[in-house]
Amino acid sequence: MTDPAAPGRYHRLMRTLCLAAALVAVLSAGGVLSHMVSAHHSFVVFFDDAKSITVSGSVTAFKFTNPHAIIELAVKRVDGRSEPWRAETNAVTLLRRRGWTKESLKVGDAITIDGWPSRDGSRDMRVRRVVKADGTVLGAPTNQRVD
Amino acid sequence: MSDARMAALVFVVGTVVAGAALSGGGSPVAAQQPVRPNLSGFWGAGHAVPLDPALVKKLPANTVVVPDAGAPELPLGNFGGLQPKPSALATAMRWKPEDDMKVDRVCLPPSIVYSMQGPFPMEIHQGADLIVMRLEYYDMVRLIFMDGRPHPPANAPHSKVGHSVGRWDGQTLVVDTTHLSRSTLTNNGLDHSDNLHLIERFWLSADGQTLLMQQEFEDQDVLENRGARFVGWDRGTDFIHPYECDPTFKG
Repeated sequence: MTDPAAPGRYHRLMRTLCLAAALVAVLSAGGVLSHMVSAHHSFVVFFDDAKSITVSGSVTAFKFTNPHAIIELAVKRVDGRSEPWRAETNAVTLLRRRGWTKESLKVGDAITIDGWPSRDGSRDMRVRRVVKADGTVLGAPTNQRVD
Repeated sequence: MSDARMAALVFVVGTVVAGAALSGGGSPVAAQQPVRPNLSGFWGAGHAVPLDPALVKKLPANTVVVPDAGAPELPLGNFGGLQPKPSALATAMRWKPEDDMKVDRVCLPPSIVYSMQGPFPMEIHQGADLIVMRLEYYDMVRLIFMDGRPHPPANAPHSKVGHSVGRWDGQTLVVDTTHLSRSTLTNNGLDHSDNLHLIERFWLSADGQTLLMQQEFEDQDVLENRGARFVGWDRGTDFIHPYECDPTFKG
């Protein structure tokens, strides 16, 4: 990657952000809200790509759809109680090319999901890899880092 | 002149005229057309490509290469070197990601400024006067008019694919797009206005197996500087699948 004037622009950006913070306070007080017109789920905005998490449980639902396939599972806690987790994967149009199908997971399947935790601390995660009870890895990742 | 000689004369003249017409005889209509690359076909998931220093150097002044082509994405507050104007920055800093996940918003497609660089395949159908690009991402279809027509008036409808006109510059397809409706630039709160101007250059790699694109955009309502991206797609033999976004995907 090339950023011809990175250092100077970084300092200008930080100064701008400080000014923007003050501006945000003023705009918020004035009730000025902007109509956001974009809608797409950014991995790095919602999930912490600097951390990893692994959960094991049984599938309670599998939604094979766009923009993201969703795996819901019941995870047994240490105290024996079960708590619901939700794991988000890539778009179905991409998963299909990695060997996933809508039959890849069924309710009751015992699986282990390795991935990235949600930034807000909720029981949400982004899938890196799904391993079934028999050791089978679901799908075949390509050059993409997430599934 | 006898009838026989007249007939012979007509035959000779006619032959000469026909021969000149068939051989071209200097007519511009008969001039050979340059051979253009064929961009038609299925192109696999978009991905980042190694930056060519020579191409980066040729970018207009005040242009930053945004490093989010393909799978990578920018975190909150990081706009990849783009310098938002104060009002645009303030709006971006107020952005709450969870608002974009509501049922009425989650399936709104980004404009082609962001959509073209995503890790999704596309299909191109190339004709002399029209090139069609079908993006798998959000089932978007682009029409690129190659017949020399201008863009419509400024108050013509805007859309997420905009209005595109194209021309060949040697072996490079140059596409100029306006009339894009407001949408995300970096998928983290920074939106472009409906006055953004987009220029894309497409060309094939030396072996013809990779389609390369240089994207440049400017938006004087939103940005102090200009942005660029470099994206590649590898030739394949698959089909475009329906995207058919499900707004209830999270239940």
